[in-house]
Amino acid sequence: MIWKVIEIHLRRLRHNRVEWLLTFVVPIAFFSIFALIFTRGVGTTPRVKVVLVNGAAETTDAPTVTDRCQEVLDSLGENEGLKVIRGSSDSTTVDRATAESMVRRGTATIAVVIDQKDEQLAAELLNDASDQVASQVVTALVTRAIIMGSAPTPPSVQPPVSTADNRASSPEQPLQSERSQPEHLRPGQIQSRQLQSEQLQSGQLSPQQMQTEQADFAQFVRNVASKPAAGESGASANDGNAILPPSFAPPKIDVVNVIGEGKTNPVISVYAAGIAVMFLLFGATTGGGVLLEERENQTLERLLATHMTMDQLLLGKWFYLTLLGCVQVTVMFVWAQLVFGLNLIEHFDGFAMMTVATASAAASFGLFLATLCRTRGQLGGLSVVAVLTMSALGGSMVPRYVMSEPLQRAGLWTFNAWALDGYDKVFWRELPPGELGPQLAVLMATAFVLLLAARLLAIRWEVT
Amino acid sequence: MITTTPPAVLVNELRKSYAREGGVWPFGGSRQSRHVALDGVSFELRQGERLAYLGPNGAGKTTMIRCLSGRTRPDSGKIELLGRPVDRSSARETLGLVPQEIALYADLTTRENLTAFGRFHGLRGSELRKSVQWALQWTGLKDRGDDLVSTFSGGMKRRVNLACGVLHQPEVLLLDEPSVGVDPQSRQRIFSMLDQLSDRGTSILLTTHHLDEAQTQCDRIVIVDRGRVVASGTFDELLRQTIGGDRNVHVRLDQELRGEGNEPLATCGLPLSVTPGEHSISAKVAEIAIGLPQLIDAIGAAGYGVVDVEVQSPSLHHVFLHLTGHELRD
Repeated sequence: MIWKVIEIHLRRLRHNRVEWLLTFVVPIAFFSIFALIFTRGVGTTPRVKVVLVNGAAETTDAPTVTDRCQEVLDSLGENEGLKVIRGSSDSTTVDRATAESMVRRGTATIAVVIDQKDEQLAAELLNDASDQVASQVVTALVTRAIIMGSAPTPPSVQPPVSTADNRASSPEQPLQSERSQPEHLRPGQIQSRQLQSEQLQSGQLSPQQMQTEQADFAQFVRNVASKPAAGESGASANDGNAILPPSFAPPKIDVVNVIGEGKTNPVISVYAAGIAVMFLLFGATTGGGVLLEERENQTLERLLATHMTMDQLLLGKWFYLTLLGCVQVTVMFVWAQLVFGLNLIEHFDGFAMMTVATASAAASFGLFLATLCRTRGQLGGLSVVAVLTMSALGGSMVPRYVMSEPLQRAGLWTFNAWALDGYDKVFWRELPPGELGPQLAVLMATAFVLLLAARLLAIRWEVT
Repeated sequence: MITTTPPAVLVNELRKSYAREGGVWPFGGSRQSRHVALDGVSFELRQGERLAYLGPNGAGKTTMIRCLSGRTRPDSGKIELLGRPVDRSSARETLGLVPQEIALYADLTTRENLTAFGRFHGLRGSELRKSVQWALQWTGLKDRGDDLVSTFSGGMKRRVNLACGVLHQPEVLLLDEPSVGVDPQSRQRIFSMLDQLSDRGTSILLTTHHLDEAQTQCDRIVIVDRGRVVASGTFDELLRQTIGGDRNVHVRLDQELRGEGNEPLATCGLPLSVTPGEHSISAKVAEIAIGLPQLIDAIGAAGYGVVDVEVQSPSLHHVFLHLTGHELRD
């Protein structure tokens, strides 16, 4: 008997293509998507979009200071971990106000402002706090770039005991030392390092001095590495000065959150929007399934034999799904305001625009999938695949900024990404509704095109 | 001056074929063969008449109803509704359609369903409210008007299903298997509801596999097979066209039929079926009052005793099988 039950289910599985899809294809598809996100995306640290500002150019007329800052900015520009966003001109740097505006608009994640304070190079990072990884990455890279420009060469890259004799007995070692020099070092920096190197090589530093230098540098690296995230605290990166010798004092790096500072729940709007859009899609596909149910039980046949036309039927369903979606998203955001402190009321105009556009696009998507399928079973399988894929790529599950650039670009083919970008502008960046133009345009165009496609697909259910 | 009333529905040489569905998705594979659903069908539904449109599975009954309701465009042929060529506009004004499935919103109440379909049929305001009240009364569901349809029995759902198709008082009603899956009491109720519509002058075309219903509840019968009309007329006309009106008389004997000494049976003047070794005799009798005594006398004269007599009238079932054969169609 038990075997018979098993056999019946196996035989049913064999005949049910949708169940095959859900059982075997969907999990593999999702594994692949998340594997792509977390291997090619997170695993290889996506390039942080930065905009560079030569602060000295705005605050001083001294060309040497400006050049010194520019050298650091140039070295940052060549760093493979950063993607420099240019302003309107071809210059790699922009002014501070433009940079701040670019961060606020989301064009860049962080603006790096390099200036000289008290004869020391210092950096100010104008940060978008929603990306909790970027500020730490950029802090480390800027620290390194400034140190490479002003600090002695780390002993770790030198021969263990760099004497002239040793050098002579080990011809490969100088080569290794030279190879370890960053390619972007400027002549002045190289001279400074060569001088220290020569001191080491000529034996001017005793072995004790060497060990002290090595220990100091190791301590410095540990302090920089263990420093609390600048993006979270907004604190200076030179807190570890007290335990460092003056020669290895880390540069002063201030992280200023131009967006997100003081927000009680900085990521609530992101998750509220992500979850809302995903469930909006599920709701819309379920609602679209009613059309197939009506077709299967001949209600559609009966409806179309009355005064009802297919245009009226689809539009009626579309308006209903849009309205339901608006209410669904509003309820979620009201809950987010009541329980998690999201500021909905102050941003209601932008929220309303985004919600109407997103809900209408989701409604069209639901009707499109419904008219694409023959049965509710097909729709169930297809909608799970489509909605979860779009949600994964579009940022409803994992923030898009942790994905690699190709995946981020792929995400733009989902309207989750556009919807989330719009909500991000409204709640996170607090931009005026006029800034929502691209997102609203894409979502409304999507709504129109998918509704039109649904109408065309539904022709086969009309007169045959 | 002579005026002729046009038939409620006139169908002339109607043809319709479909591509067989094969693919999983809406626009399937290219290697599609065609299935001929209607192959030159002609018949008429007279005004105020109730016509049974019968046929085996796959004979094209549902296709015909879809053509009549304007939901399917025939390849060729002509359909007239009340003397005018049918189009979608005239069909939705004149016709009421009751599909085979329970085409209702199960999660709405009876009243909500009736109101919705009344509105879809173009009713509004007091006219709509009046129609809904009439329908609740007509279906006998006045006290269940605010109950969800999903909580109803099959028979109750059928009645609501029927009511939703007649709210706009159509002149022609198309019923696709209106009594499938319901108990005899519900079936009787459904036909008494149809009687009320007929009294109102509604012309009704119904398809059914309950041949006794067609025989007893319909004025005329059209039998189709393989997309063609194979017979039409009243039941008596169909009998005359096919198996005739003779009764089948089946007499059970007290002993086996002998191989000899049966001469009285041979000379009684009735067509008999006599097989030695069996315990019964069958005969075709045109006038039962005359033929049955003759048969019983002949049996007695041959030395047999009568244990039981069964007289069977020819039914539509016999006519149907005679016309369409015993071969399975699906």
